[in-house]
Amino acid sequence: MDIQFELNGKSVQVDVPEDTPLLWAIRDHLGLTGTKFGCGIGMCGACTVHVNGRATRSCITPVSAVANSAVTTIEGIDPSHPLQAAWIKAQAPQCGYCQPGQIMQAVNLLEDFPDPSDEQINAVMSGNLCRCMAYIRIKEAIKLAAGEMQKEKADG
Amino acid sequence: MKRVLTVIVGVGVLVLGGMIIYAWEPAIPKVPLPEASRFSQAQISRGKMLAGIGNCSTCHTNEASRPNAGGLSIPTPFGTLYTPNIAPDPQTGIGHWSEAAFIRAMREGVDREGEHLFPAFPYTHFTKVKDEDLTALYAYLITHKPVEYEPPANTLRFPYNIRMLQAGWKVLFFDDSPWKDVDGKSDAWNRGAYLAEGLGHCAACHSPRNQFGAEQTDASYAGAMVDQWYAPALDKQHEAPVDWTMDESFDYLRTGGSALHGVAVGSMADVVHAGLAWASGQDIEALATYLGEIGGAGSTSEAMQKAKTLISKAHRETDADMTHGGRIFAAACVACHYNDSRRPNTIRPDLALNSTVTLKSPDNLIRVVLDGVSVKGGLPGVMMPGFGHALNDNDIADLLAFLRRTHNNEPPWPNLAQRVAQLRNETNVNSDDATE
Amino acid sequence: MGKLSRFIDSSKTGKDTESRQLTRRQFLVGAAGAGLTLAFARPGMAFASPGDAIAAGAYEPTIWYQIQRDGRIVINIAEAEMGQHIGTALARIVADELEADWSLVELNYVDSDPKWDLMVTGGSWSVWQDFTPMSHAGAAGRIALIEEGARLMGVSSSRCQARNSQVIAGNKSISYGEIVSRGHISRTFSDDELKKLPVKKPSERRLIGHEAEALDIPDKISGASVYGIDASIENMVYARPLVPPTRHGASVKQVDDSKAKQVDGYIRTLVLDDPSDTVPGWAVVIANSFHAANRAASQVKVDWQPGKTSDVSEQQILDHGEKLIGDATKGALVVDEPGVDDAFSHADSVLEQDYVTHSVLHFQMEPVNALAFEKDGTWEIHTGNQWQSLAIPVLAKALDVDQSKIVMRTYMLGGGFGRRLNGDYTVPAALAAKALGRPVKLVFTREDDARFDSIRSPSNQKVRMAFDAEGQVIGMEHHATAGWPTQVMAPFFMPKAKNGEKYDPFAIQGAAHWYSVGAHRLRAISNDLANATFRPGWLRSVGSGWVNFALESFMDEAAHKLGKDPIDFRLGLLKAEGKNAGSAPNAVGGASRQANVLRRVKELSGWGTNQPSDTGLGVATSYGQERDMPTWTACVTKVRVDRETGRVHLLRLSVVTDAGTIVHPDGAWAQVQGASLWGASMALHEGTQIAAGQVKDTNLNTYTPMRMGDVPVIDVEFIDSSETSMGLGEPATTVAGPAIANAIFNAVGVRLRSLPIRAEDVHKALNT
Repeated sequence: MDIQFELNGKSVQVDVPEDTPLLWAIRDHLGLTGTKFGCGIGMCGACTVHVNGRATRSCITPVSAVANSAVTTIEGIDPSHPLQAAWIKAQAPQCGYCQPGQIMQAVNLLEDFPDPSDEQINAVMSGNLCRCMAYIRIKEAIKLAAGEMQKEKADG
Repeated sequence: MKRVLTVIVGVGVLVLGGMIIYAWEPAIPKVPLPEASRFSQAQISRGKMLAGIGNCSTCHTNEASRPNAGGLSIPTPFGTLYTPNIAPDPQTGIGHWSEAAFIRAMREGVDREGEHLFPAFPYTHFTKVKDEDLTALYAYLITHKPVEYEPPANTLRFPYNIRMLQAGWKVLFFDDSPWKDVDGKSDAWNRGAYLAEGLGHCAACHSPRNQFGAEQTDASYAGAMVDQWYAPALDKQHEAPVDWTMDESFDYLRTGGSALHGVAVGSMADVVHAGLAWASGQDIEALATYLGEIGGAGSTSEAMQKAKTLISKAHRETDADMTHGGRIFAAACVACHYNDSRRPNTIRPDLALNSTVTLKSPDNLIRVVLDGVSVKGGLPGVMMPGFGHALNDNDIADLLAFLRRTHNNEPPWPNLAQRVAQLRNETNVNSDDATE
Repeated sequence: MGKLSRFIDSSKTGKDTESRQLTRRQFLVGAAGAGLTLAFARPGMAFASPGDAIAAGAYEPTIWYQIQRDGRIVINIAEAEMGQHIGTALARIVADELEADWSLVELNYVDSDPKWDLMVTGGSWSVWQDFTPMSHAGAAGRIALIEEGARLMGVSSSRCQARNSQVIAGNKSISYGEIVSRGHISRTFSDDELKKLPVKKPSERRLIGHEAEALDIPDKISGASVYGIDASIENMVYARPLVPPTRHGASVKQVDDSKAKQVDGYIRTLVLDDPSDTVPGWAVVIANSFHAANRAASQVKVDWQPGKTSDVSEQQILDHGEKLIGDATKGALVVDEPGVDDAFSHADSVLEQDYVTHSVLHFQMEPVNALAFEKDGTWEIHTGNQWQSLAIPVLAKALDVDQSKIVMRTYMLGGGFGRRLNGDYTVPAALAAKALGRPVKLVFTREDDARFDSIRSPSNQKVRMAFDAEGQVIGMEHHATAGWPTQVMAPFFMPKAKNGEKYDPFAIQGAAHWYSVGAHRLRAISNDLANATFRPGWLRSVGSGWVNFALESFMDEAAHKLGKDPIDFRLGLLKAEGKNAGSAPNAVGGASRQANVLRRVKELSGWGTNQPSDTGLGVATSYGQERDMPTWTACVTKVRVDRETGRVHLLRLSVVTDAGTIVHPDGAWAQVQGASLWGASMALHEGTQIAAGQVKDTNLNTYTPMRMGDVPVIDVEFIDSSETSMGLGEPATTVAGPAIANAIFNAVGVRLRSLPIRAEDVHKALNT
């Protein structure tokens, strides 16, 4: 069936069975491969996208569930987002496979916790597995970005 | 002997005859579909708002393409009912109903043809609705889009399918006294009470029913199972970990979520988003005022303090509990459900504050874990994916046991894995492809 | 993995292991296409000019680069990029000597090519292997550019120097791009010339050892990086495998796909006929989308005749291992110094302990996958892989084509960790594509990936030590058995031990330690039941992952037996004398460098300070995997044990590494940090078991690698050194486990001799 939604600001339509996971609709039918397949059960976070601005595991979200919703993938994140710069500065990625998901989750983290404590970062990011165990730098990057965003806010 | 029998039979015939006479209601003649111009726009708008508060469409719309055309199945202990078509189609809906017929149905539970309606239709509450409100409601419904659709026939078992018996039910359980404001209460309270007890029919879902399907008046708002969901208690014995405050009630009824409680799921999501959404802020405030008193509303500062204590305790116990269920919680749930104990966020429903974890029955929580929350439920636009295809029965059982153990002080739920399997069957979420 | 690679090379060339180093080779600098190519000539081939040789592709795939007319420097990388930023490290070695403008440097990850017979990446070896040739390649380029630049500027080359992609003579200068555009470089450096090239002193380096952003990172952040799973081609179909109940010897009796036919998009189920016997008893479900393949797969019923191991359990494998260790006639004597038996028979006391480690999954984030198709008579395999040279002969056999007809296209790897050294996952994709006659993209679900993983084998070990009356160590025996990856997948590389038995060096590496313990015996035994049940894998650090757990736990036990401080005890045995003196270039300093990292970690970690109750520090050290490529590593962990639950909280992890010259410090830091956390994760959070012939845990609902909240405070430190660069990707993996076990002992007095360490085990030990 045809399912319509917004992907990175553009209206798209896919003709797939309604139980098709959003992940595969995005990757295989709409051709954006930055969103990754890791576990298929919503427990590694590699497939994280935003649905209406909230981090959501696309591997367990049927595409029909996002009909008429706005979906954002890593390709839709503003390249000038402080998180992107912080990720480079901290040299966070190793193999990089989990990083799009990490970043998508971190965007929400900083919206909900603009000045996050270690405990808050650990909790919110605990659903994002990094098999290279680059956790320390991911955390460092989040703190760098938080500092930058606070500064931007203060500077108005 | 024979005479005695004759007398008994005779008396029986008289009683039966009397009952038939008592139960008999005349049909009200058909009228042509009224012109929309008969009603003022203000009346129709007001009717729409009232239809929202009364949540007509929650039960009377089964498919979005057929608004108000009925067909929703309501499983009862006596068999299955299908809601009728209340769109103004002359053949299949209420297009031929006069205003009088409509008002009689709402007030007395009798349809245009004189048949008694089953109390799944909450006329026991609607009887409190004032004349001008019923007129406005009629104006709205009768001028709405007609939909030709014949809902399936009810499948009630004998003798429950005898509508006439409803007359007897009414004698026993139906209080048709009109609404009267309570002296000494504020206007807001009275407005809230009128809406909640009347058109809003809150108690219809939130109160347990007796063996005849009547609300237990001595247990009003004590919580009840409805349509495979438990509608939590709203009285002072409520299951919510934190007492409701007026502000939280308002947020919940207005937005579908409260930071100190959680979000509306199941049919309550429709109540908020497809019903109360039409109501004015003032009316929502009034409802919150009335429901706040029923539930023993406390102060905001007390509630925040309690929430903080509960969240902090859950954090501590979560950290100390790295069992199978705890690991699943950390990997699958915490990213969205974690909160700063001082500032719980509505968009991150905290499970230490959520009654799904404190209820006697795990069903609501199981259903949410299996099916998730759609973008239309809960807070609009915010969804939770279902984990029914991802986690197996044992995973979900261990996760729930973990939550029960670490997030409140209630005793463990028994036989969780079996219950998950049962609800999976009932809601058709197979674990075929759930991981081993 | 380094040795493996060197062996492949020497096994084909018949030369010794030094042949990989820059000997008997020429370096070519010549125009080809739109720029200048700089590469090592392949031996034994003669061409009229460097340009002809380059045009014919007669150069080594491992080290070559091009300078474009616009000045861009494209450095070709034949190593798999799997998180180690290897391209950046290698490029910086070239660019430093080349005096290149780093901002003009780009990486190109090359595909396999039939004309190149070797492609393998073991993470710890690349820098060590390529440092000198890369430096020479850069220096030769610099000389050639200076010569041509001088000519173009009309000055003597002796007056010129190169800096920042410019050749400069006084106030004149010319850019490399311009030299390439305007000049005509055709230059050959002989082997002798290369050896005499002036190579920078460490103090003159501008890139090596300095901070730099890895070149692969920006694309990994924007989602633009392309991994194997992202490969696609027109007209391809999707496939999901149906993994049989046993790894070996299974066959399909019957397939019932009647229910699958109702799945929208389902095409068919193929039973694979595999001449290479890589995937016996496999079927794949074909559909027009991965989701459809996935849905259909759950509806296809396959009746299998399983292989012989369908009932095998982890315990049976370990019981079998115990028996093998008990039988002195089994196995290879890797070290067998005279006097071992004598030492034990005359010992005043003997300490003997047994250690066990359980199965571990790779669980790389990207499940294995491959896209396969035939195009113009050549088979293309699109996938992330670490060892193309091992996969291609197997693919050739499976497809019944010549190896020259197979190309493996290179992609980023969503985690390697050794899983992708074994390219078995490419075979079912290729077979399905051949059977269907159209491109097939085979994607394993996480569960399929786990069931088909080349796991780290469970292991048994027995360690013994003999002491004289003064408490001096006079002899040591170490016996280890596990499934042997190299025996199963690359048996042509099985060196002979002292007793003539062949053995898997990777399954015992790390045990030929630098402690002076008197007479030493080291015996490695292949666990044939493990080999029969699954395909044992090379998993990050391979054997040292389990060997060092036993060795370093045991060293602690020995110290405690003698009443000595565990660090002092080790330092007492790490004497740079005799066989442990070490030799240049790789192992210069020998045991003294291991002692040095131990002393440093002692200071760094607060060793010896008072700890709160139930809290303790534990130490472990390692020389890495190979005595001739030692990466000196020492680690102290701090743990707190919850006596009520047995849960072990890892609080702090301090690691000191001496890996000689650090080329890319930032990348090195990440590697050591990641590796040490891997070790901690395997010790406390991971581990699975074989049950009914397969792994028990197949996804994250029950397999629980370390997550962010589990991460301890970490101190990573490198010894400042200008010695030869050593590998970094693996050694730190091997120290966290024993250091944690030793810390638990110091915290609460119980000794755990099995990995992983579960709360229940600690709790039980505390209560018995």
